[in-house]
Amino acid sequence: MIKGISLFINTYKLNFKKNRIAELNLAVVVKLEPDLSAGSISYNPDGTLNRSKTKNTLGPHSKIATQAAFYAKVKYGAKICVGSMSGHAANNALQIAMETCDADVLHLYNDPSFAGADTIGTAEVLRKGVEKMEGTMEKKMDIVFSGHRATDGETGQTGPQIAWKLGLTFLGNVISYDVDLEKRTVTAKRLLILRGVPEIIQEIEAPLPVFIAIDPSYKYHFNTVSLRLSAEKYKKEAYEKAQNYQQYIHTFNREELGAEKTLIGLVGSPTIVYNVQRVPKGKAIRNAKVLDGSNPEHIRQTVTAIKEALSAMVIK
Amino acid sequence: MTEGDYRHVYVVIEHIDGKLLPVSLEMLGEARRLFDDFNTRYSSKEKVVAVLLGHNIKDLSQTLIEHGADSVVIVDRPELDALINKIHTKVICQICLDVETSAKIEPAYALEFKRPRYMFFAADGIGRHLSSTVLAELDSGLASDVNQLVISDLDISHPIKTGGKHIIYKKTLEMYRVDFSGFLWTTILCLDNINENLSMREYSPQSCNIIPGAFIPKERDPQRKGKVIEFQPKIDENDLKIKVLSQKFVENEIDFDNYKTVVSFGRGIQDAPEKNIKLIEEFAKQLNAQVGISLPIAKNVFTASPAVTSNYMIPSRVIGTSGRKISPMLYIAFGISGAMQHVSGMEDSQFVISVNADENSPVKDVSDIFLKGRMEDVIPLLMEELKNQQITLQVK
Repeated sequence: MIKGISLFINTYKLNFKKNRIAELNLAVVVKLEPDLSAGSISYNPDGTLNRSKTKNTLGPHSKIATQAAFYAKVKYGAKICVGSMSGHAANNALQIAMETCDADVLHLYNDPSFAGADTIGTAEVLRKGVEKMEGTMEKKMDIVFSGHRATDGETGQTGPQIAWKLGLTFLGNVISYDVDLEKRTVTAKRLLILRGVPEIIQEIEAPLPVFIAIDPSYKYHFNTVSLRLSAEKYKKEAYEKAQNYQQYIHTFNREELGAEKTLIGLVGSPTIVYNVQRVPKGKAIRNAKVLDGSNPEHIRQTVTAIKEALSAMVIK
Repeated sequence: MTEGDYRHVYVVIEHIDGKLLPVSLEMLGEARRLFDDFNTRYSSKEKVVAVLLGHNIKDLSQTLIEHGADSVVIVDRPELDALINKIHTKVICQICLDVETSAKIEPAYALEFKRPRYMFFAADGIGRHLSSTVLAELDSGLASDVNQLVISDLDISHPIKTGGKHIIYKKTLEMYRVDFSGFLWTTILCLDNINENLSMREYSPQSCNIIPGAFIPKERDPQRKGKVIEFQPKIDENDLKIKVLSQKFVENEIDFDNYKTVVSFGRGIQDAPEKNIKLIEEFAKQLNAQVGISLPIAKNVFTASPAVTSNYMIPSRVIGTSGRKISPMLYIAFGISGAMQHVSGMEDSQFVISVNADENSPVKDVSDIFLKGRMEDVIPLLMEELKNQQITLQVK
């Protein structure tokens, strides 16, 4: 029994030691977004988001991307750098990201000239950011992670555009992945949702380096006790580091990043928002009978309609 | 810029297992309608060009022509059988910049052609990423999730684009998209920088990805004639190291198709998410209904127990443009305002009942019965009355 335990501890130590050698270099690009959770979000009376009253936090998809990086840190050993382009100097997104993935380095890209960029102007800054991380860490990235899309912009274009600018193979909608350190390849499962056919799961293999945009349904799972133990260890370390996250932040302006003026911000953005209007009230496609939910007779009518609808007796 | 520099609309076609996805014909239909009008208005002869990549797909060309394409640029190669973003991006960009192909599409402007004028992709699991990488390579603008398109000459004054001067941008594609709240409709334009003090730059093609279901295909015309142009791409050996190991269809996690009734909920749960969802769960059970949600619910906006969150606040229950399109016999919406994205997923339901405290909610316009009230008050009453009327219902 005692022998068993000591063997277990030794294996754990060995695994942990093995994991301490940084085998992979990982980057995660994240976004500070309006916090859409209850209590933090504020809507205008017309249903649009009240941005001045809504708090900001690490975007939920960005958070999943940092979880995906944490998986590799625990399983393969990795150095992680998290970067964010933001006008907010006090970027609590970076703190949450650090706590989630036990990041080693935090990057903040902040310059007035970055403002107003569309996706391609943003992708240019973050591409320069990833190159800067490679400089800081003195090694090329093996995997760059991003979220699926931002909850406030929702285009999902920035990730693939950073990948393309960096010359990395882009894998989107990744629901799980593993790395073969010897072959230096990644195997990923991707979820493809297309209108008109059932969902598709594609399994793809690609040589490193790659760019992974993580699917919202991604969840990591550690299937051995030793991995779960090292995950706990890293989490503790991450929590402690994140208390003093500001000392890990390196801030870069445009010049320090070496970003070309004409490729970033408003100047480097092909698109503009020309007009914003309320969604026009469509022509009513049905003529609703308006009933009062507190009137028992109206409740009766509604249930009768349910009955008729289900016996297909409603003539429309 | 000369008349010949930028021409035509290129539509990137999607297909799976030898069958065209519906969005492909929808995009072609819209391109055809826009260009019939465009060519009349501008006395022009620009073309609708379908770009078709894959393996053993030659049979699809004729269908594309019959549904509105003037030309089909086809690349039929085993390397293009699998959906690999990097390879497809490079081939599409080669087609866009190929002067010989443009000469075959329209010999008159063969010497001037630089790039396509407009480009359409689908806003789905393939087209979203493909459009992003293609436009990163072509270095031009992309609008996403577009559901309306207009081509017009616009008088623009913009601090960066025009340096504050008024300039008429001809043949500009107005790309309309609904923002994440579902209440604002934004028009995106892709414009050249014509600002002598700051930057001079042409951006082409003006591009977008288009929401499936937003446009209607043209009816098939078996008499329609068009050109089929075979393109020989250069494929980088290194890219062939990216391999698709398997690709299979999976049943959707949530089955909507086999239920007569779908009961959905939205932001109206906000006062007591956990309690309200449990109430809805019970009500759905009584009606043998499947449960759907509106998009905000899947975004971790509301706090509830892990059991409720993991079962109900998940993307696979979302009804609408970001989720499923359904058409049950009966659709009951609790606390859903009726944003355009949601409506597009449920408007084909046979009978619609909505329960909402706000009588001005747009959901009223897509309902047969609008029951005014808060769900927490109304659901118990409905359940009681269902019991009284002894409605027994079958799944399927």
